[in-house]
Amino acid sequence: MTYLIELLISGLSIGAIYGLIAMGFAVIYKSTGLVNFAQGEIAMIVAYVAWTIASHVSGNVFIVAGGAIVFACLFGLAIERVVIRPMIGEPVFSTIMVTIGIAVVLRSSIIFLWDAVPHSLDVGIGREVLVLGEARVRSGQLGVIALLLIAIAGFYAFFRWSRFGVAMRAVASDDRTAMLMGVSAARVQAVAWAASCVIAGIAGVMFAIIHELSPTMFVLGLKAFPATILGGLDSVLGSALGGFIIGAVENLAGGYVSAGMKEVSGFIVIIVILMVRPFGLFGERRIERV
Amino acid sequence: MRSGYFKETIAEQINLTDSAVARVWLALLALALIVAPFYLNPFYLSLLTIIAITAIGALGLNILTGWTGLISLGHVGFMVLGAYAYAIATSIWKLDPLIGLLLAGLVPAAASIVVGIPSLRLTGLYLAITTLAFAFIINHLILEFDGLTRGARGIFVKRPSILGVSFKGDTAFALLCLALAAITLVATLNLRRSRVGRALVAIRDNDIAARVMGVDLTVYKLYAFITSSFIIGISGALYGIFLSYVTVEGFPFLLSIEALAILIVGGIGTALGAVLGTIFIVLLPEFASALFSLLGDETARALSTGAHELKSMLYGVVIILFLRFQPHGLVGLWRDSKRLWVNWPLRF
Repeated sequence: MTYLIELLISGLSIGAIYGLIAMGFAVIYKSTGLVNFAQGEIAMIVAYVAWTIASHVSGNVFIVAGGAIVFACLFGLAIERVVIRPMIGEPVFSTIMVTIGIAVVLRSSIIFLWDAVPHSLDVGIGREVLVLGEARVRSGQLGVIALLLIAIAGFYAFFRWSRFGVAMRAVASDDRTAMLMGVSAARVQAVAWAASCVIAGIAGVMFAIIHELSPTMFVLGLKAFPATILGGLDSVLGSALGGFIIGAVENLAGGYVSAGMKEVSGFIVIIVILMVRPFGLFGERRIERV
Repeated sequence: MRSGYFKETIAEQINLTDSAVARVWLALLALALIVAPFYLNPFYLSLLTIIAITAIGALGLNILTGWTGLISLGHVGFMVLGAYAYAIATSIWKLDPLIGLLLAGLVPAAASIVVGIPSLRLTGLYLAITTLAFAFIINHLILEFDGLTRGARGIFVKRPSILGVSFKGDTAFALLCLALAAITLVATLNLRRSRVGRALVAIRDNDIAARVMGVDLTVYKLYAFITSSFIIGISGALYGIFLSYVTVEGFPFLLSIEALAILIVGGIGTALGAVLGTIFIVLLPEFASALFSLLGDETARALSTGAHELKSMLYGVVIILFLRFQPHGLVGLWRDSKRLWVNWPLRF
């Protein structure tokens, strides 16, 4: 029983990281119709920047967190402005390939700018072992679950009540009409990229705190795909939930079946789900008109 | 000089070329490719072999992604299946290499039905991610069934000898790959000109309209999946023979991305583009190192520590630049320069 609970909690915590990255996918997909294949790489590069800050100013969590968030925000804006915005009007396929190109560039620039050996990101908190009943968990693992819940609530409120959130939903549902109503689609897209980079960056930093920092961290992006597909590409909150499900399934499969199953169980889950619901659990069914 | 293009019959319309000059050049190119392997040094010979093998794979993917418009990230999954089918058939079961090559096509083709049928309901990105999932699951299955596949240890593959002809030497093997690439090129060009090819392109351009015109989406999408994975499987088998060792690590996921990049850089949806793109992408690292050596010894030494990373960065940057400034790829450049050559100094 303790084993099950420990597996579940660590599954939910890694699932929360997937969920955060998956939310990043969904935010961009919802406002621009793109899938950003560089999401895992962005999470990785933000984590590396956080590590650089932490190794210069030691011991202050707030400076590290603030610096990482500011960097992620600027980085997202820069990518959007330099690479993505000129692609408006091109086929979606080309733009997605551009994000794959960004992924390749970022992945190798990490090794070029930093190095290829793993580091540990130590900010003073997040590594203590807590004992809950009989299960032992790290505080960072609970922290990331809490962060995902906060992000879910925040995004729900943002999309539901804020003026800009409503504008984003308007662009997502029909960009031409939204533009006629005075919404700037370009600005919505820029904010979507910044927001998605920030949440991906938070996920990357949390992963680096709980586990370690290494140039193979971009795999997180690939692992988050099942989460966002499961929840539906256009459903931000669904993606977050999908992250929890995939994380838990993955860890249980790893704990009870085999280590290899841990790697692919997420992918098996989405193939099964897509058979039943081709648009994910919470995705909107697209009706094609001729 | 001709004053225009006049086509009066369907046969003329689908003719690959009606110009005698082009035929002569093609014959010369073929001759050069037959002679070249005997004179190239081992390094250039291996580059030529890699180009031929990669071109086969790219032509296969072109059927699925370029013509039918189904984006697939499962390219590497089909390659690895083909390589393992060949390796198991020839190295473990000791079958004839020809049967091995046939199996290398048939096994991925059979697998593509398993992937293809569920994929019929999916479109665009959902399909891309399902095929990505397929590639990961295949890797896992290969590692799991280690009784048959020897798991992570991999299988040693010998160079084949087919119908009494030995392909053990590098020159002979390069010729084999070139011959197979040429056959694939002609086959896919013929496929494109047939009823099937037109149906596939119709599906890409507008699937609903194609369906209304009587194109059976299920049949033709599966057809595209099967044909394309058959060809990709063959290229995987050849790649395995080239590496002389088949393991899961020998086929990284990057190969899937590289294949899509080849199609894009070449010009999506054309067989010529797949070939040009292959040549460009395979030679890109060589261009890069030539460029670095031009920068002088000091910079070359400073960059040599990160040379590998710089090369793959360049690879990403090239993809982005092509998509941004030359969406029609190398084929587009070729067409533009041809037009310029014919019409200069007029623009059109």
